[in-house]
Formats: sequence, structure tokens, C-alpha cells
Amino acid sequence: MRYFITTRKFVFLLIGMVISVSCENELDLPEAGSRADTMPPEANFSATRDVNNFDIYTFSNLSTSATTYAWDYGDGNTATTIDGQNQYAAEGVYTITLTASDALGVTSTFSSDIEVIEPEEPDAIIPVILEASFEDNSLPDGTGDGRDSWRNSDLGGVIQINTSSSVPDGGQAAKFPSDGSRIAYQEIELTPNTDYRITYSYRLEGSGGEATVAILPGGGYTDLTVAKDAAIAEFTGSAEDYTLTTLDFNSGVSSTVSILIYNANVEARVDNFTAAVQ
Amino acid sequence: MKTYKILIMLLVVVSFTSCGDDFLEPVPTAVSVGDTFPTNETDLESVLTRVYDALQGVNSLEITDNNLNHGQQIEFYVTEMLSDNTRTKSGEGEAGQFDSFTVQPTNGFVFDYYRSMYSVITRANLVLENIDLAVTDGDRIEGEARFMRALAYFNLVRSFGDVPLIDRPILIEDVETQFTRVPSSEIYSFIVADLQSAASKLGSTTTANRASKAAAQGILAKVYLTQRSNYGEAQSLLEEIIASQEYALESDFRDVFYNEANGENIFTVGYVASSSLDSQNFSAEMLNGVGRTSGVNYVTDEAIAALDEFGGDRAQYSKRVDAGQPTQTQVVKYLPNGDASLGIEPTSSDPTSAGNDWIILRYSDVLLMHVEAILAGGAVTQSSNALESFQEVRNRAGLTDIVEEVTSEQLLIERRVELAFENHRIHDLKRFGAAQQVLTDFSNANGHSFSATDLLLPLPQFEVNLSNGLLTQNPGY
Repeated sequence: MRYFITTRKFVFLLIGMVISVSCENELDLPEAGSRADTMPPEANFSATRDVNNFDIYTFSNLSTSATTYAWDYGDGNTATTIDGQNQYAAEGVYTITLTASDALGVTSTFSSDIEVIEPEEPDAIIPVILEASFEDNSLPDGTGDGRDSWRNSDLGGVIQINTSSSVPDGGQAAKFPSDGSRIAYQEIELTPNTDYRITYSYRLEGSGGEATVAILPGGGYTDLTVAKDAAIAEFTGSAEDYTLTTLDFNSGVSSTVSILIYNANVEARVDNFTAAVQ
Repeated sequence: MKTYKILIMLLVVVSFTSCGDDFLEPVPTAVSVGDTFPTNETDLESVLTRVYDALQGVNSLEITDNNLNHGQQIEFYVTEMLSDNTRTKSGEGEAGQFDSFTVQPTNGFVFDYYRSMYSVITRANLVLENIDLAVTDGDRIEGEARFMRALAYFNLVRSFGDVPLIDRPILIEDVETQFTRVPSSEIYSFIVADLQSAASKLGSTTTANRASKAAAQGILAKVYLTQRSNYGEAQSLLEEIIASQEYALESDFRDVFYNEANGENIFTVGYVASSSLDSQNFSAEMLNGVGRTSGVNYVTDEAIAALDEFGGDRAQYSKRVDAGQPTQTQVVKYLPNGDASLGIEPTSSDPTSAGNDWIILRYSDVLLMHVEAILAGGAVTQSSNALESFQEVRNRAGLTDIVEEVTSEQLLIERRVELAFENHRIHDLKRFGAAQQVLTDFSNANGHSFSATDLLLPLPQFEVNLSNGLLTQNPGY
């Protein structure tokens, strides 16, 4: 009798267990002792454009708590590597999706857009020197007295104009009296860290004098000594016939430079400025 | 709770030990030292000296206590050996984790470096909190403290990413400040402010062992380059250093390292040979079995090839065949016991107590950063001001062929061979956006397991544990 009861209980228990197992399969209840996935994966990545190839991107996988990865590079290419890399065949906006999964099959996805675009190499600015030949009415709006763009009363008096048919360009040139009291000054816009060449012609009206053209970094000069000391390039000459002169300089960090012209001892004439990228 | 208290106590012990007055030089006799609050300007100078001591670190062969900070002396483990420039000789142990990109959060060098940088910061904070005590030399003291704090944060943010921002002396109870990671962008803003202030307050110095205006300007330029913004400001700062004419390239590359008071070095960590308190052991560790290791910071095949192809005169003073093991190659820049064949005199009678300084910033780095600032993230430049700086560095190496353009790739190579084994490589790779590509190739060629998350070190597990869940770990660890 005793034996019989025990067996019955055993069988009962067995059935109970079977049912319980099948219930678990159907309802996905956690087993005794099992734990929820407390560290689910979290997908994340960053994208870096290749320095030399605009169409190649590398992707750094920054996901946590994941073991397998699926990359969708947005152009049809895919990968299952940890980190990613892709070359894009065409310009455009692409959505990159990383799916990170852990060993329990829990997944997390993260998407981010990149814009693949060939960077334009902007052409260096060719500086515009206003009233470059000191002619009347040569400003863009057809006005001007040939020296309006060259004034800076903090640094010195405004230049005079020499009118003659024998100046290097047009009918007028800048004139600097022998006392050295007058200067010409103009700020011009250009591209930083670019090599430029400025040319001009000058002459002195006798011996023992000199004429200087200096390039100053930036603008806003109000003190002649400060301005002269700041020169990044300059040429001082004593020629007594019109002489074509070249001044090469690098614009450095600034997007503005100033041209400063001054003379000493003898009357000077200056004419026909040009500016170009070297 | 009990465990938590015990751990807190341990941290207290660590920080007290590192603040001990063992490393003070010169040791003040009549002032309060140790953990007494500074009460006058002389005290403040002493604390400032200990800011430098924190970066200098302890020679672990001379002072063998555990848990001391080794500062600059172990930086090469967490930077150069994590790059494609160097490795351990044996590939074993915690040091070997850097070779194979398998660094664990429990790695002792990582924790040591982290601790060391915060030790610099903690001491600098103490100076700055009490700067009003300075009545005669306040600007200089403040400038030096700000420079050192900024340098430590720059090291931390580059190696760990977001890190806790401690900007004042805090109490041990202030758990939130100690363990809350602050976004890198905020850390960078803090660094920039400190360096701008330091540059305005500091002048020139007679020794590169102390912070100067040029040091602050140069590091600030590097911070801007690292942020990949403000290229124009970086260029202006570098041009100020160049225009000051205070520094110039040494004519002989070897003298940069073996004639320490030279005019090229802008900021160095000073060491004194045969001094138990101020000597260093990294020189010994880089030899074959002279230090505690069998040899670390050995040169990789990739770095050998780069130096041979692009190094010019620099190759022979950068690396040499290990005489004791001819299949291996050692770093030449820090030899403690000299090398007669290279005309290098010993720097110390005992190699384990070496005096070779560690160079943080030198003039050729300034010139190459100048090129980088002009390149401004672009692929190539022909601008004559960039070419001039680039040519100057190459001319010294005997590479006098005329440079007509500089590409980003050429600049990265030039930095590798000019500044080899000076702990720049990993940061350069990251700054140039080349780290993942270069280190993936390096890793594959050598059977290592690099992935992009190795570009940041793990936060030390010790700190993570103490933080009670506040301090989150970097991805990949």
C-alpha cells in the first residue's frame, strides 16, 4: 500500500513537471533561478572620413554589452565586423545602421547619417586693389579721385596725384613729396596661408631718396611706427626711372593685409599695382 | 556599507601617501609641509613644487612602496606602447596588454597614470584655491599651477575621454564630483581657459623644467589642433613662439636628448641622476633586463622601417639593435648608461637611478604643429610658410631635398620619425583621423586584436568600484 501511494505521487509529480515545462515554452516565463537580461546591448558608433579619400569612411564601434554586429552602410554594402569601413561609389546622404546583438539574441540598433561629398578646393581669392593706377573715376561705381582708396590720416597725409602722359599706366600716378609727410594705405582681402605677388612701378625724382612699399598683416593700423615694424614683406628702392618691382609674400593667418607706401628725402612716384596668386 | 567604508579609507591612504613630503626638492626646513594647509607664499611655492613632483613621479626602483604614483615615468606604457611604435620585449604581463590591444580595466599602469594625473590636479587646485596668499609672485605661481592642471587634464581627456572635473579642493565625501564623468567638450573648455590664463601670466624661464609662456602657448595650440577647430588661433600661437626667437632647433639631433639645457626644449619633466627622490627608472626599463622588466618600449618592425626610410640622421639616435639580443631593437633617446659608438656619455653611474629628462614639448614639435595648423584639416598645402617650417625640421635631419608640398600623410610620417618614442604617436594618429585604419592594419599584421574602442583607455576598475555605479566604463571594456 505504501509503495503504491509513493508511486502515484511520483507519477503525478512527473505529469506536473511536464505540464509546467510546456507552459514555460508557451508563455516564456522565466525559469526559477534565471534572470532578466539586465545588460542589454546598446548600439553606437562614430564615423570618420578618410583624410585622403572623401568617399571612404571608417566607423568606430562604440556599442556596449554586445557580441555580434551587423553593419548596413546605406549603399547596399553590409558587414559583420566589429569596426566598419566603406567606400561610397557616389556622392549623397547615406544612413548607416549598426545592429548590435548579445548572446541572448537581444538587439539594439543605432543609425546615423553621413553626407559623402567631394570637398571643393576653393580657389584662392585674387585680391582687388582699388584705384590701382591712381586714375580718376576708376572706382567700381565710376567715381573717385584716384586716391580715395589710399587714405589713412592717422598714418600720414593723403598722396598727391601726378598727371602725365608718360606714367606707366593711364594718365596719373601717385606722388609723394620729398618731405615724406604723405603715405598711401589700403587694406585688401585675400585667402589665408596663400602665396601672393604684388607688382608696381616706382621712380624717384632725383638721387639720394627712397620709396618703400610694405605689406602689413591684417588691417586697422593707426600708428606709422607700429605699421612699419609689422611688415611681412617690403621693398625699398632708389631707382630714378620707372622700375617694375615685384613683392612676394605669404598672407599667413590673416584674411586681410594692408599695403603701405611711403618715401624719404626725394619726391617719389608710384603707379600701376597688380595682385595675383603665385 | 562596511566594505564601502573600508574602500574609502583606502583611497584616503593612497592620497595621503602621494602627498607625502618624500619627493619635495628642495626640502623646506622651516615651513609647514605635508598636508597642512598653506599659510603663506613660501608654503604656496612648496605646494607648487609638489605639483611638478606629481608629474615627475617616483622612481619605482629606488622607492619600492606600492601604490605610489609614477607619473610621467609610466606614460609610455599607456601611449607609445599602445601605438604601432613600440611594444614589450616579452609580450607578457600587464605591460603586454598594450602591445596586443587587450588592456583590462584592472591594468595597473592605467590606474597609475589616472591617479598620477589627478594627483597633479589635486595639488594644483590647492595652489589655486590659496593663490591670494601670494603677494609678490602671484602671477607666476598661478600661471604655473594652471599650466600643470591643464596639461594633466589634456592627458586625461585624450587617453580616457570624458573624465571627472575637479576644479577645486574637494572633500572625500564629495563622491559625486569625484566620479561623475564630464563631457570631453567641457573638459576642453576648462583646459583652454587654464592655458589662456597661464600664457598671459607666465614669462620666459631659465629652465625648461618649469612652465613658461611658450609652453602654455604650445600646449594650447596642440589642444586647438586636437579639437580640430581654431586652426587660425593655433597658427598665431605657434607663430608667436617662432617669432620670439627664444627657441631654435639644436644643430645635432642627438643633443636634443643628451645636452639637456639646450635651446630646443620648451617644457620637460626634470630628473636628477643618482637621486633617490628625483631620479627616474624608465631609462632602465627600456634596456634589456636592467630594470624590473625584461625590457619594455622596444621598437616595432613598423617603426624601424619608418625610421630607416624617412628618418635621415635621426634614425641612428632614435633606435639601435639590442646588443644582448640582436633580433630586438631598443630606443636610443633615453639611454642611462651611454653608447660609445654613438658618442653618448652615461647620464648616471647607476642606470636604475637615471637623470634623463622627459621632453613634453620641443621646438620641432612647434614647427610641425605650425604646418598642421596651416593644413587646417586639409589633405595638402603648398603655402610657403608651411613649407618653410617643414623644411627646417627636415634639414636638421639631413634631408635637404626641397619640399614643394606637404600632405597630411607626409606630416604624420614626419612627426612619427622626428618625435618617435616621445609619447606622441597615438595622439597624433587620433588627431589626424588615421588611428583606426593604421592600427587595424598594424594589429592584423601582428596578430593583435585592435578595435576602435582601444583608442580610449578603460577607466580604472578600482575607481569604478569605489564609485558605486557613478563612474561608467568606456565602451569595449
